Amino acid sequence: MTATPVNGMTLSEQSVLGAHAPRTQRTGQSLPFNDELHLQAHRWLVDEAYLLDAQDYDEWLARVADDVHYLMPVRVTTALGAGYSTSPGMAHLDENKYSLSRRVARFATEHAWTEDPPSRLRHYVTNVRTFRTEKADEIVAESAVLLFRSRGDVGEAATVSAGREDLLRRTGTGWELARRTIMLDESVIRMQNLAIFL
Amino acid sequence: MTDQSAVLQDVRQGMIPAHIYNDKEIFDLEKERLFSRSWLFVAHESEVPEAGDYVVRRVLEDSFIISRDEKGEIRAMFNMCLHRGMQVCRAEMGNASHFRCPYHGWSYRNDGRIVGLPFHQEAFGGEEGFRKKGQTLLPAPSLGIYNGLIFISLDPDAQPLEDFLGDFKFYLDYYTKQSADGIELRGPQRWRIKANWKIGAENFAGDMYHTPQTHTSVVEIGLFREPKAEKRKDGTTYWAGNGGGTTYKLPEGGLEDRLRYVGYPDEMIERMKGQWSQQQLDVIGKDGFMISAASLFPNMSFVHNWPRVEEGSDEVLPFISIRQWQPISENETEVLSWFAVDKNASEEYKALSYKAYLMCFGSGGMFEQDDVENWVSLTNTAAGSMARRLLLNGRMGLLENGENVVEPLTPEQYSGPGSTRVGYSEYNQRELLLRWADHLERPARAAAQLHVGVDSVSAAPAACATETAPDAAAAVPAMTSQEA
Ligand code: FES
Ligand SMILES: [Fe+2]
Repeated sequence: MTATPVNGMTLSEQSVLGAHAPRTQRTGQSLPFNDELHLQAHRWLVDEAYLLDAQDYDEWLARVADDVHYLMPVRVTTALGAGYSTSPGMAHLDENKYSLSRRVARFATEHAWTEDPPSRLRHYVTNVRTFRTEKADEIVAESAVLLFRSRGDVGEAATVSAGREDLLRRTGTGWELARRTIMLDESVIRMQNLAIFL
Repeated sequence: MTDQSAVLQDVRQGMIPAHIYNDKEIFDLEKERLFSRSWLFVAHESEVPEAGDYVVRRVLEDSFIISRDEKGEIRAMFNMCLHRGMQVCRAEMGNASHFRCPYHGWSYRNDGRIVGLPFHQEAFGGEEGFRKKGQTLLPAPSLGIYNGLIFISLDPDAQPLEDFLGDFKFYLDYYTKQSADGIELRGPQRWRIKANWKIGAENFAGDMYHTPQTHTSVVEIGLFREPKAEKRKDGTTYWAGNGGGTTYKLPEGGLEDRLRYVGYPDEMIERMKGQWSQQQLDVIGKDGFMISAASLFPNMSFVHNWPRVEEGSDEVLPFISIRQWQPISENETEVLSWFAVDKNASEEYKALSYKAYLMCFGSGGMFEQDDVENWVSLTNTAAGSMARRLLLNGRMGLLENGENVVEPLTPEQYSGPGSTRVGYSEYNQRELLLRWADHLERPARAAAQLHVGVDSVSAAPAACATETAPDAAAAVPAMTSQEA
């Protein structure tokens, strides 16, 4: 998969701002689709997709852990064997809870013109695989996501395709997102900005 | 092609025909007469620090390999095999001693020289048929470097880069020479916007007027220390050489206080004092202005800003971004946005400055997001027939009779070079468009053709593009008959 650790390090650990990222890594084979943990993770991801489509960002942020690391590296085209396919030291998004909260706060200001009128969004989430980790209350979930974003009535809609690796953590009130790595499938994003979440 | 002289004349009056922001004919002219001639930024030396490092960058459709060869020299080579034209390098960055063409296997050293030509003897009769010695991938016709910024021009007779930059070098140093070792670049982030390339260049050159409206949201969420986005109008716009930009008015205090105010740590301030001329230091310390956004004609821009990056802290931290508005068509632009930082800054500073950049600018930046929304909308509307009737008023800062609303600053008020004014105006946008108009009205010269591997065919002389250039095919029979 896309977010495979390089030199035993997750992409979060290699990122400039990922020092605080939870280090938990997957163990063993993917869980069977009828495993209780898998079902819970799948449900979490689908519920999240609906929240993001509805741009209910406060509710979304409430499901994000305080120590979250949310990373979208810049993909680059490199020769086979180069050993890397992300731009060293650069990302599109390299976020912690504070910077995510500023982005969410901005949408609430009535002056975030890029989302006023709001985009019509649809997150298609599929190919979900889950893995146990060395911690009983943390699991790794992989998914493929396709975002369809349409604005106004003139321009063409934009799509973004990506693979994600999430670390989900169980708390007293349910699961929350503790780490997310988003590997875009394009090196040049064909969308006017990233005023959305994947 | 229709006569565009009326359009250029309007532009020179500061009345901008709206359709120039989405017009296929205008774009074709820009390709032929502007991007074929001007100096264009392609990379920074820090992107290729080691021998063999390379990045691939474009000038419109032309792909160039920017590499550092084994001797440490920077090269810019047209990324097209001399044999049948395959792209010899298909990665966008990496390290290689050689580039081997995947089609028939010609190989080139990272300085461009041909080193391998399969079956040279059997297929070409050796050197007699194809002179391999001395053949290289086509070098960019002109190459120039300033403070590590690598520029190329497709014009072999381009004026020297330093002359082209002129007094804008004074301002470039603030972004790219904060210490003896200059900057390092990370990125670029690349994304495509459905907007004409000129709009971004104009905006960064001098549009302080949009800030209070477009960027209200980032002020409201507390990203900046100043409680009001109107603060911009106390700054200056300056135009110098082939570039211009904006500044912020700083609060009272000396040089150190003011550099601390935007978040520079003392050790960086010490290095700046050793690096910048007294005149450069005086703009900040004596006059009280701090450089902000700028554009270098035609399509390179800079940003310098200082947001809050950490929760519950009043501290701000500056960041620098370099970007290029790479035209794709009359209504689409690829934005390349780099994070730039002083190479000698501490790792901690670099990380926080990077965070400041990500929050504000680039593909995910909260500042930039709202800009592009405007530019896309403007570009869309500019395609219509009503836009052909509308002359946009780009005369801000001028009275109807051409007199200034605000007089330029005197050397006592402002130490930097160029023409400088306080407050909102569109002098800089007009300066950019004046240069644009000058290029568009000068017919392009047909470039000399280069014949590979044969001596007997001489390069075609430069000719006026308005006449049909001597047909490239004419050279081919000569070569064939010689070989036969
Ligand atoms: S096209 Fe490159 S070797 Fe033939
Ligand atoms: Fe802006």
